[in-house]
Amino acid sequence: MSFRGNLLTVSDVRKAYGGVQAVNGASFSVREGTITGLIGPNGAGKSTMVNLISGAERAQSGSIHFANQDITRLPTHRIAHLGLVRTFQISRELQRLTVLENLLLAPQHQFGEKSWAALFARRRIQEEEQRHLRKALEMLDRFSLLPLKDEYAGNLSGGQKKLLDLARALMAEPKMLLLDEPMAGVNPTLTRSLQEHIAALNKEGMTFLLIEHNLSVVESICDHVVVMAEGRVLAEGKMDTLRDNEAVVSAYLGG
Amino acid sequence: MSLLLSGIVFGLITASVLSIASVGLTMQFGVTNFVNFAYGELLTSGAYFALVFNQSLNMNIWVALVLAALIVAVESYLVNRVVIQPFIKRKARLLILLVVTIGLQLFLENAIQAIWGAGFQQYKTSPGSLLHLGPVLITVQQLVIIVVAACIMVATHMLLKFTKLGKAMRAMSDDPELARVSGIAVKRVTDITWLISGLLAGAAGVILAINTNSFTPALGANFLFVIFAAVISGGIGNPYGAIAGAVVIGVVMEVSASYIDSAYKTVVAFAILILVLLVRPQGIFRSRGRV
Amino acid sequence: MNGLLYYLLIAAVYFCIYCIYCWGINLQFGVAGILNFTFITFVAVGAYFAGVTALGAPDGGLSGQYILGWHLPFPIPPVLGGIAAAILAVLVGIVGLRRLRSDYLAIVTVSVGQIAWFIAGNNVHLFNGWDGISQVPQPWNSVFHLSFTNYGWVFLVICIVLAIIGYIVSQALYRSPYGRVLRAIRDDEDVAAALGKNVFAYKMSAFIIGSVFAGIGGALTVEFVGAFNPSGWTTPETFIIWAAMLIGGQGNNKGMILGAFVVPVVFNEITRFLPNIPGHPQLIDSFRGMAIGLLLILAVRFRPSGLLPERKTLFSLVPTVKGSEGDDRHVLQG
Repeated sequence: MSFRGNLLTVSDVRKAYGGVQAVNGASFSVREGTITGLIGPNGAGKSTMVNLISGAERAQSGSIHFANQDITRLPTHRIAHLGLVRTFQISRELQRLTVLENLLLAPQHQFGEKSWAALFARRRIQEEEQRHLRKALEMLDRFSLLPLKDEYAGNLSGGQKKLLDLARALMAEPKMLLLDEPMAGVNPTLTRSLQEHIAALNKEGMTFLLIEHNLSVVESICDHVVVMAEGRVLAEGKMDTLRDNEAVVSAYLGG
Repeated sequence: MSLLLSGIVFGLITASVLSIASVGLTMQFGVTNFVNFAYGELLTSGAYFALVFNQSLNMNIWVALVLAALIVAVESYLVNRVVIQPFIKRKARLLILLVVTIGLQLFLENAIQAIWGAGFQQYKTSPGSLLHLGPVLITVQQLVIIVVAACIMVATHMLLKFTKLGKAMRAMSDDPELARVSGIAVKRVTDITWLISGLLAGAAGVILAINTNSFTPALGANFLFVIFAAVISGGIGNPYGAIAGAVVIGVVMEVSASYIDSAYKTVVAFAILILVLLVRPQGIFRSRGRV
Repeated sequence: MNGLLYYLLIAAVYFCIYCIYCWGINLQFGVAGILNFTFITFVAVGAYFAGVTALGAPDGGLSGQYILGWHLPFPIPPVLGGIAAAILAVLVGIVGLRRLRSDYLAIVTVSVGQIAWFIAGNNVHLFNGWDGISQVPQPWNSVFHLSFTNYGWVFLVICIVLAIIGYIVSQALYRSPYGRVLRAIRDDEDVAAALGKNVFAYKMSAFIIGSVFAGIGGALTVEFVGAFNPSGWTTPETFIIWAAMLIGGQGNNKGMILGAFVVPVVFNEITRFLPNIPGHPQLIDSFRGMAIGLLLILAVRFRPSGLLPERKTLFSLVPTVKGSEGDDRHVLQG
């Protein structure tokens, strides 16, 4: 694996709700081509961090850079345009869209998504749709969802929804994926399958920031791990060295 | 100067009605997390129930108010149990719940119109003698309105601050999931909240009807967005904010009525609502970040 | 002219207009999940602006006072009516469509409806107050010089043409990637945003297009009836359209045709035959309002997806001209 520069850099970011400092001066970065894990006990500020990076919420101070651009104050959709796409902790499939439509939604800057184009340029939309359709079918095939392509996404099982989340995010052709606990509430078989998918995608060059509770998963696939506690970055490094880090151990036990 | 002063005094009277109504709406929102568009009709119901006690049974208007408020409390409870809960049980989306309450709004307003007619109604009551408050003249009745409202606000404060129920309500309003997990009897608290919300709506409706002198079945529907203006300025779901919002809206409405055509004072409330939504949608009086 | 035939003619005109309303509100709620609780206000704006741009200058007499007073030929007034409704939609959308909960837009629409009604009624200078505008000329009848009844047929043809255009536009929007984004926003705004869709801009555009439908429908109404005033613009009118949309099947443009037929046409026609009870003039109106309210609740309770539920959108690969079909098969079979 070739490591290049930092794709994502979080610098001294803060966010408080009322009196509670959810993220309190956290800094870390994600190098291009890596799978970086973000772990920490409950209440460490991981979820808030995901929301800040993805633009769902705005940091009160500090800065976040992605691919050499300041994204601290950008709205979510602009961040996605730059190639940073997130998934959600609880699968949020678009229930009344079919599995295929969920995927077709994801490509960025679709010509057919303009209202006037829908009325006056149907031929060109048709061509674009066919192109995306081909790609979506390949993607569904890869994630073994092809037989379900015309099922409403709301009817999928929990595990299938997790796979759909990942496939849909990939259809957006991101530079980096921000996965918010993709293995939460998932059975061991599927955990392994998701893990393999992530590792394979990483081999193909995809960068990941993985928020995860399951430390053995983190240990087996992450190149680099960032530990958060009480809104700050407590330590970072390889998982096996972090296991011996006293601060990390006590944060987990204390949390 | 005395124009401004009388505007402020009349503003306090309007604020009295408004604060009772606003606390009821915002409290129900806090606990259930959706806006009840049929709330205005609870006010209207109160006004008409009191009409029956006052006109047909010749009761004193303040006794009629208490009885009417109690009936509206039951009405509100039933609205929740019979109409709303079936949807909550089926985990209906927020959009659907709002459609349900607006359907209920239409139903109740027209039911009231079917029973009592669309014409103007009036209570049998006298405004009492005039009192001089400096340069401002107010009636005994208006003074009673302010006192009643103040008592209701104090009672609400005591309920929220010092009772187990009040603490449970605040907990549900802050974080419904946490409240559920920490063993609060969510269903019972919700039931009681609808009762209290109805009680306040009924009382506010009667006082509104006394204050406007004559009323029609559109009484509550026409007042609803004034209530929204107060509730949203105060930060929706926050009872203390609603009181503050009611005072601001009430005073601004009446002060502006001294200078412009008083028919347009509701337009002023509307303007404030729009302004708040544009500039500070989480409410003027809410410091916390959560919307 | 045969009385029954004339009666059917009027019903057919209203049916076409209600179809246009239903497609408009379906785009807003059924497709994009936007709560517009005062759709009728956008209808009214369309009606008023089409009226005052077709009427000509007020003569100060019976026609009363109103703004603009242009005398423009059909179809310019309905276009202006649609534009006026669109402008109101932009203003309401700026306040209510930002990333706030859907309650807020509902609150804004209810409030805007109340205030607009109040101002239009109390301000005589805008649209002649409570009396409203009247004697709006019928489209092109200065050319045809037909009697009112015979002219009705001409107008029906105009309405049918516009309804067909409305259907084609609605279907094209629904089936396009644009419609897909709106449906995604309806299901989960956060997901749509995370996939790079500008949620505010999309909601705004759906809100505007739906309002243009409302405005054009209103314009057609005023040009057919010749008059419009605030009494034709009450809460129940909005919810007749809502009930039609919910019962027809939210998200399904064909369902809207069914809804527009079943609810407003049947509803208004049945209540027309109820006897008036002396001394209780509003009773029929009250029952009608109660029934509409009840219908809304029962519809979402027992038939939430309507008579003609939204259908799945299916896709198939078109074999490319020079590419091999075998490749496509391979992909499809996995």
